[in-house]
Amino acid sequence: MNRDVRAAGRGPVGPIPVSAGIGLRSAHHESLVRERPAVGWIEAHTENYFHDGGPQLLALERARALYPLSLHGVGLGLGSAAPLDREHLRRVKRAIDRFEPALVSEHACWGQSGGEHFNDLLPLPQTEEALRHLASRVREVQDVFGRQILVENLSSYLAFTSSHLTEWEFLSALVEESGCGLLLDVNNIFVNSVNLGSDPQKFIAGVPQHAVQEIHLAGHLRKQVGQRVLLIDDHGSAVCPDVWRLFEAALRRCGPVPTLIEWDTDVPALDVLVAEAALADQYLERARELAA
Amino acid sequence: MNSPPEPTNLAELQARFAAALRGPTRDGEAADPALITGIVDDGLEPAARLNLYRNNTRAMFFGALERGYPVIVRRVGDGYFQRLAAEYRDAHPSRSGDLHWIGENFPAWLAVRLAGTEYAWLADLARLEWACEEVLVAADVPAIPIEALGGVAPEVLPEMRLRLQPTLHCVSSAFPVWSVWRANQPDQPGDAIAADRGAEHVVITRTDDRPVLHLRPEAEVRFIAALASGACLQDALETSSSSVEDLPRALAWLFQNGLVVALEAPVPGEEE
Repeated sequence: MNRDVRAAGRGPVGPIPVSAGIGLRSAHHESLVRERPAVGWIEAHTENYFHDGGPQLLALERARALYPLSLHGVGLGLGSAAPLDREHLRRVKRAIDRFEPALVSEHACWGQSGGEHFNDLLPLPQTEEALRHLASRVREVQDVFGRQILVENLSSYLAFTSSHLTEWEFLSALVEESGCGLLLDVNNIFVNSVNLGSDPQKFIAGVPQHAVQEIHLAGHLRKQVGQRVLLIDDHGSAVCPDVWRLFEAALRRCGPVPTLIEWDTDVPALDVLVAEAALADQYLERARELAA
Repeated sequence: MNSPPEPTNLAELQARFAAALRGPTRDGEAADPALITGIVDDGLEPAARLNLYRNNTRAMFFGALERGYPVIVRRVGDGYFQRLAAEYRDAHPSRSGDLHWIGENFPAWLAVRLAGTEYAWLADLARLEWACEEVLVAADVPAIPIEALGGVAPEVLPEMRLRLQPTLHCVSSAFPVWSVWRANQPDQPGDAIAADRGAEHVVITRTDDRPVLHLRPEAEVRFIAALASGACLQDALETSSSSVEDLPRALAWLFQNGLVVALEAPVPGEEE
């Protein structure tokens, strides 16, 4: 391990607080540590910290000394029919050992076939077969990590005719069969409601509320495709009013839950993210009052 | 009209989906009918929905390659780089869920692709840029001081191995790759450098979280590269055609820059 990383010491290792956090992007590595904004926690993309050493690792270790950390994977492809990439799994495990995150999450998706990785979050059919496969993979990964992981619902641009389960039925059964927690991406629920015609309120009502340990909020892009508008889940803008309303509904269903503002493309200045997080905190505060 | 049967299992569905992602990139191209049958058609064509994924995955690959080779992009322009990237992706699709590795084979692939053309020098420039990427992600190990050599008996010195910083990389080129790299950094005007200006030999290290390129004499770079690949001092001198007189300067440079992390004495019986 990099000696500087080791010397930097550990940060807060308690649970992620029930407040709003922000996604850590390299553009904010310096300003976050310098300005120490009042956000509750940070989330980093695991694959960005796979290396043996260097400035990226050091930056996360510095941020991690100030804020509780969640590690969010984007490259494991849990639902790929192809065997799990053992080297990738080993590197995730190494990052977990190195940074001791309070939460570890991945996606209900697949990413490789025939030896080729697509470096994208590709949709699974909601079938019994895919469910059994994904659940066994989640159990396998949890065994390797020695801890529970959260699995995030996906944004999609297409649905499969073979999907006999709704997304929420699929996720509920996944929780049941694998013992994983859920990372509920409210923006993805909204994106899918437009792209696939699913009912976002039914989704929220059908989700196993006690399994939800984290919520994601993000912006999306409207794109004209043929005669239709599709929403592209680009994490490149502010959270839209529809998604805030859905967030409110999710909090009514699940109670206050640690909530992350994701902003991964066209990344704005840190204070813009912090302001979004402060807004999410207001929703969390109201949910707390309601729950009291 | 009979529709072809949709994919019956997850592996088949993903294989067909993957083929559609890899396939021809022109919109409106006939897609795999079995895959299309398996996608809900609610007024927006399944093929158009698939195209979104095809474009996304391609953009992800191209973007990662561009970020790793900014000087090459600047020298050849976006259009030509995209053509190269498309060909490269066909030959070397991503083999990892970690985007870092996408550019790993680009220098070797360029060397074959551009051999014998006026752009052959781009392969060496790519080696230099990949080395800069590698320098940024390698472990940083505590260096040892030059005084450590004082404890080595003169008779074993030729067989000593110097373990160098994992961050250190060497690039020797018949072309002026160091000059091209420098002239095409973001704060520079981006001048073209004549490829026939002559050979340049570079050692790349990491300082203050940035790659630092050191232009050094040819024999010295070859000597350091030999040490880095595990050769003992004597073998490194021989393979690099360095003379014993060059040794003090090369060693002093390595130690001064904190690039030696261990001295390894020969293990009896291990010599060939």
